Amino acid sequence: MATPRPLLRLLVVPLAMLVAVGLGAQPSSAAQRVRAVGAENEYANVIAQIGGRYVGVTGILTNPNTDPHTFESSPADAQEVGSARLIVQNGLGYDTFMNNMERASPNPARRVITVQSLLGLPDDTPNPHLWYSPRTMPAVARAIESDLASLLPSHAAYFEANLTRFDRSLAPWTRAITAFGAAHRGFKVAVTEPVADDLLKALGADIKTPFRFQADVMNGVDPAPQDISLQTNLLAGHGVAVLVYNQQIVDSLTRSFLSDARAAGVPVVGVYETMPSGYDYQRWMLAEVRAIAGAVLGHRSTQKL
Amino acid sequence: MHWLFEPGFFSSGPVHVALVIGGVSGVVSALVGVFTVVRGQAFGGHALTDVSTAGGSGALLLGLTPLTGFVAGGLLGGAAMEALGTEHERGRDVATGIVLGAATGLAALFLYLDATSGATSGTAQQVLFGSIFVVQSSILPAVVVLAALTVALVAALYRPLVLSTVSPEIAAARGVRVRLIGVLYMAALAMSVGLSSLTIGTVLSTALLIGPPAAALQITRSMGRALLAAALIGVATTWLGVLLSYDSFDWGSSHEAMPVSFFVVALVFAAYLAAGVSRRRPARLRDAEVR
Repeated sequence: MATPRPLLRLLVVPLAMLVAVGLGAQPSSAAQRVRAVGAENEYANVIAQIGGRYVGVTGILTNPNTDPHTFESSPADAQEVGSARLIVQNGLGYDTFMNNMERASPNPARRVITVQSLLGLPDDTPNPHLWYSPRTMPAVARAIESDLASLLPSHAAYFEANLTRFDRSLAPWTRAITAFGAAHRGFKVAVTEPVADDLLKALGADIKTPFRFQADVMNGVDPAPQDISLQTNLLAGHGVAVLVYNQQIVDSLTRSFLSDARAAGVPVVGVYETMPSGYDYQRWMLAEVRAIAGAVLGHRSTQKL
Repeated sequence: MHWLFEPGFFSSGPVHVALVIGGVSGVVSALVGVFTVVRGQAFGGHALTDVSTAGGSGALLLGLTPLTGFVAGGLLGGAAMEALGTEHERGRDVATGIVLGAATGLAALFLYLDATSGATSGTAQQVLFGSIFVVQSSILPAVVVLAALTVALVAALYRPLVLSTVSPEIAAARGVRVRLIGVLYMAALAMSVGLSSLTIGTVLSTALLIGPPAAALQITRSMGRALLAAALIGVATTWLGVLLSYDSFDWGSSHEAMPVSFFVVALVFAAYLAAGVSRRRPARLRDAEVR
């Protein structure tokens, strides 16, 4: 019976580490800061802007170099969700992993803002990239402000001031959209995925790529050869002013469209599905509008922000 | 002709590429597969496709074309099975199973990494079930060269291969290096699996390798005729599969094309059943004559 002893020693170290981690996880200002989670980093960013110093925010989908549609959550994510008192998630099947993690650690006091329900969208809404629509984030910010005000009533005025500042900071973006749309309504666009479709529509774009093709690429299944030919002809025949693609998901098909566009002299714009680093939500969206405008007006390609 | 060929079939770029790759891999798989069936190596052939899955998904991770990985994986897997395997039937079976399991585990890791760390999507679909309509035409020269190499290898091996397939003992007595022939044949098998993986994916490529030869061998027992019939069935099923997938775009109002690999495998299965029926009928007639 010599074996239990080394085994015990083997167990001591990890156990000690667990205890240390458990102690370390207790924040000193736990009463003051609300723990919050944004399922996507653009929502996390808006929570941080409204909550300021009274909120500690974590984003779950934060890496703009991967495909969010194939994301798998980690145990660390589950722990964040478990301890969060405010959660903002997209809905429309985009972040079902959030629902699973919330069910795994039930907490009746936790507030969950599902953007889909907030906007009153039905489950069969085809395009889940809600944050690209100019009407989404003002509503989300308002909901965050009202939840934070009821979680920390003594700081309600602070949150309200942050909301006002956030709404004001969206103005350059919305002004750019209105100005471009007024001057160029009906400009023709080819896309690979529906990521930026809501923004393109707000800009007055006429999206020539069939939606089923966009959905196929988004869902990782092969588009029909008929639709591939249609897209190739759109680019080769100069049927569009710009090709907008999801620069987070570049497969061989996207690459072939990019080279078709280059050969035909059609400018390309790589849009982001997840907020790239070095940006906040409003400056990111403004940068996307400028990239699209630069392509349509100045024939300039923008592959990376 | 509209009821058979939906509009744009003959002018579609993706269809041209699919017909070339499908036709070439249909022929090559059939020729190699006849020996696979006769030698009783269907399981080994299937295991190679699993190693090809690891190769293809690993190649995508490195930014290479899947075809490179399919072939490299197949060659490595074939070598591993030959190295681990013994002369005994049972040893070969176990070696095949070990390699298959290890390779599939690697494939699980690579496919996960493809999806999570790379900016690609649809990798699993492409590797496992094939994406022949989205294959770039730049790969065609490599496909043709690989096919020519495989056919040349099988042709060069033909006599000793037939002999060592029918009776390894007699072959050895006549000075045929049975083991070497087996290794070279495994190389041909790996290359043909690479081609069929590009067409209908690694998981289903066994269907093209085994199906048309098995159907052909039900119709005829002559080696030459079986090779010819298998090649014809191989081309017919892949081309018809491409056509049906293209046409299926217009079958429903949602305008989605069903996968080529489904149609090819369904047609291969149908061909096998049909060959079985056509073989049985003369037998029954003979019974009737006797009575």
